[in-house]
Amino acid sequence: MTEFADMRTVYGETLIKVGEENPNVVVVGADTTDSLKTKPFGKKFPNRFFNVGIAEGNLITIAAGLANEGKIPFASTYAAFLPGRCVDQIRNAVAYPTRNGKNGLNVKMIVSHGGLSVGADGGSHQQIEDIAIMRSIPNIRVLIPADTVAVEKLVRLSSQLYGPFYMRMARSKTPIIHSQTQEFQIGKGIVLQDGSDCAIVACGITVQMALDAANLLKQEGISCRVIDMFSIKPIDSELLEKAARETGGIVTCEEHNIMAGLGSAVSEVVSENYPVPMRRIGVRDQFGESARDSEVSLLLEKHGITSIHISNAVKDIRSKKQ
Amino acid sequence: MGLNYYHILKGVREARKLVIKGTTAAGSGHPGGSFSMAEIMGCMYSKFLRYDPKNPLWQDRDRLVLSKGHASPGLFSNLAVAGYFDKSEIETLRKFGSKLQGHPDFKCPGVEFCGGSLGLGLSFSIGMALAAKMDGKSHHIYTIIGDGESDEGQVWEAAMAGSKFRLDNLTVFLDRNFIQQDDYTERVMPLDEELIGDDISEMWKNAARWRVGDKWRSFGWNVLEIDGHRIEQIEKALNFALQTKGTPSIIVARTIKGKSVEHMEDNPKWHGVAPNPHIAPIIELEIDCQFLIAPSIIAGDMANLENEVKRASHGRADFIHLDVMDGQFVPNKTFDHEKIKQLRPITPIPFDTHLMINEPVKHVRDYVNAGSDIITVHAEVCDESSFGEIHDVLRSSSVSLGLAINPETEFPSWAEKFIPDLDQLIIMSVVPGKSGQKYIETTHEKTRRISKFLAERNFQGLIEADGGVDLTNVESCFLDGARVFVGGSAIIGQKDVRFVISEFRKRLMRARRTLLINKAYSLGSSELVTKWIDLHEVGKKKSELLQIAKESGFL
Repeated sequence: MTEFADMRTVYGETLIKVGEENPNVVVVGADTTDSLKTKPFGKKFPNRFFNVGIAEGNLITIAAGLANEGKIPFASTYAAFLPGRCVDQIRNAVAYPTRNGKNGLNVKMIVSHGGLSVGADGGSHQQIEDIAIMRSIPNIRVLIPADTVAVEKLVRLSSQLYGPFYMRMARSKTPIIHSQTQEFQIGKGIVLQDGSDCAIVACGITVQMALDAANLLKQEGISCRVIDMFSIKPIDSELLEKAARETGGIVTCEEHNIMAGLGSAVSEVVSENYPVPMRRIGVRDQFGESARDSEVSLLLEKHGITSIHISNAVKDIRSKKQ
Repeated sequence: MGLNYYHILKGVREARKLVIKGTTAAGSGHPGGSFSMAEIMGCMYSKFLRYDPKNPLWQDRDRLVLSKGHASPGLFSNLAVAGYFDKSEIETLRKFGSKLQGHPDFKCPGVEFCGGSLGLGLSFSIGMALAAKMDGKSHHIYTIIGDGESDEGQVWEAAMAGSKFRLDNLTVFLDRNFIQQDDYTERVMPLDEELIGDDISEMWKNAARWRVGDKWRSFGWNVLEIDGHRIEQIEKALNFALQTKGTPSIIVARTIKGKSVEHMEDNPKWHGVAPNPHIAPIIELEIDCQFLIAPSIIAGDMANLENEVKRASHGRADFIHLDVMDGQFVPNKTFDHEKIKQLRPITPIPFDTHLMINEPVKHVRDYVNAGSDIITVHAEVCDESSFGEIHDVLRSSSVSLGLAINPETEFPSWAEKFIPDLDQLIIMSVVPGKSGQKYIETTHEKTRRISKFLAERNFQGLIEADGGVDLTNVESCFLDGARVFVGGSAIIGQKDVRFVISEFRKRLMRARRTLLINKAYSLGSSELVTKWIDLHEVGKKKSELLQIAKESGFL
């Protein structure tokens, strides 16, 4: 039986651990600190916790000011209100300022409620453009963890590495995919399952779909390599080129607009280094809509984001190859 | 401690000229907003900020965030004057490979915030101020925001946050110059109230129409409202802000966009246009030709000097001229430092103390302690050694240094070594001793001669004309080279001091215009005169200038 866990809870717990180890870690929130589970950090470190109210531009820019003075601010709210609302502040206050060889200011932008799986709140809250926005801004590293193990390790890593980070979490509980001993490196994908007929590259909640698709295909005698590409920027070009060369086809999957998201990032690498047939699973340039938790799978299905769609894409590539 | 008035004034003047140099060389940039905040910047870098150009990231430095980043030439020029980099680098402004980017950037040492996108600087400053509080640091964060910039909603998000977090280590200047890119602010998006008609100076004059201070007050800020071109008001407000605990302060500085260059003043066109290289030398001369009015209160009621100071202050004098006579150096006696101490609290306007006393070196400390901002001693009772001592006392007390010469005295040769350090030279045009005498005509020639002599010897200060100066001769005094004008019976002796000071200014403006037309003519004959005059689009300036040019035979 697969175990599920809540990313935000783990995020909040990790922040406290990181905060205990490093007094420069501070947290900035925008009236969603309860939801983002950063409130306990504020209880423990009241002088290092700032709630600026529903003012996301202010949230990001204050975080930049704190970072300028050597603090390591974690600025958190929902995905729709951070990259979605604050491109200018993120670009000019966080990513742009560069001195003494340090690119950008040391702000960690950690959001929840990414993608369609937000569900009931509807299309207005389902951020499906954030990867595109964030990866097009120089100096920002973009991470999308697939499970709580990744959340913990990536929060810790981002607190240790200098520079602006963007990390998107899912609203709902996610299956635990990685073992506690799994190593995470920024810019390195993780091969969850080896295979030789095709590679499936996923991030966030679609990693589990990729694994499910690989299992389905295995029953049909098709061997898939499954890659958790949690580090979308920088992306693991080496691993992608190897997958292209060794499997001859790549399917990507993301709960994001197919324009300028994970699929685009992968195809940029593949087309330049080792062109092979590709299929991109993702939102086909349209907005989402409300769906209760029990209906999120229907919403994803409507947008063609399921393990079945992935396996069909793999078969499609194979038929073209032959 | 004095205001260090002349020191600041020189920095402001030099920075303004560097703005012209930089933007002219670049062919673009924003002189207007650089000039409206020039005095604020000058006060900050000359006096208030703790910084070390050799160690720009010194942890305990004060931070100055220029949120209205398009005014970067105004910041860069001050950084150059402060010694962060060589002044000649200003000519690389906006050019490829330069550290002087179009907007403030960390590429340039001393820049604390990468500005450009408006509305961000105050939030950034709040982050800085929060960090300073967390770390128990005593440095202060200063932020300059624009009035056009205040259209940005984030400014008000930051206003709420600054108040919530009780950031008394944060002081903001609002450069209220009433102009944004498209038009007057009160037409684009009123901060006070919507402008009816075309004359923006109406908004400046009528305090009943000002609302922006109330906005900030209602956000919980300590609000101070000043004339942003008055050094003494800036200093007073800053000192007040620094003493205010438990809440951040904002200084609403009413300013004039393009200040000190007549054709730029109050003209929205000069928000973001660089000067023409042919015009630039005329502008530089104009910047050098600012003038100051110093009413002498002994021309009034000696029994009620408090009231005379108030009249001068209400009349918008630039200095209060205090004639101290001891009954020895001159036959009369007026008052001494005790009186000055009593007068000091009445106004922040600089006290221009003129010591007509014997052995000034023995008494100068008393006049420093009484609150003088400028102290002038007589050459007739000094020598190199005593003046050197006076120089040291004044420098260490931030009091500006003046030397005075009587009508029959020439500039003494022992004083030549002090010329680069001299802030003010008073050329007496009456025999000192009493008010109400007639101007000695030969002083015109003498002033012209000494002005030239000083200019050739790196004089950075101003010549003050003192004695019998009135509306009939003030223009000639200006053209002789004087820039500060003491008015006794011609100002304080008049019923309406405010009116007469404004009349003085009108005459002086006319004299300056004549001088500048002359300059234009010498650089490019009638063609350049016409070109320069055409730039004066606002109000009646152009027609007035044309008339002067025609009368003087330049057109």
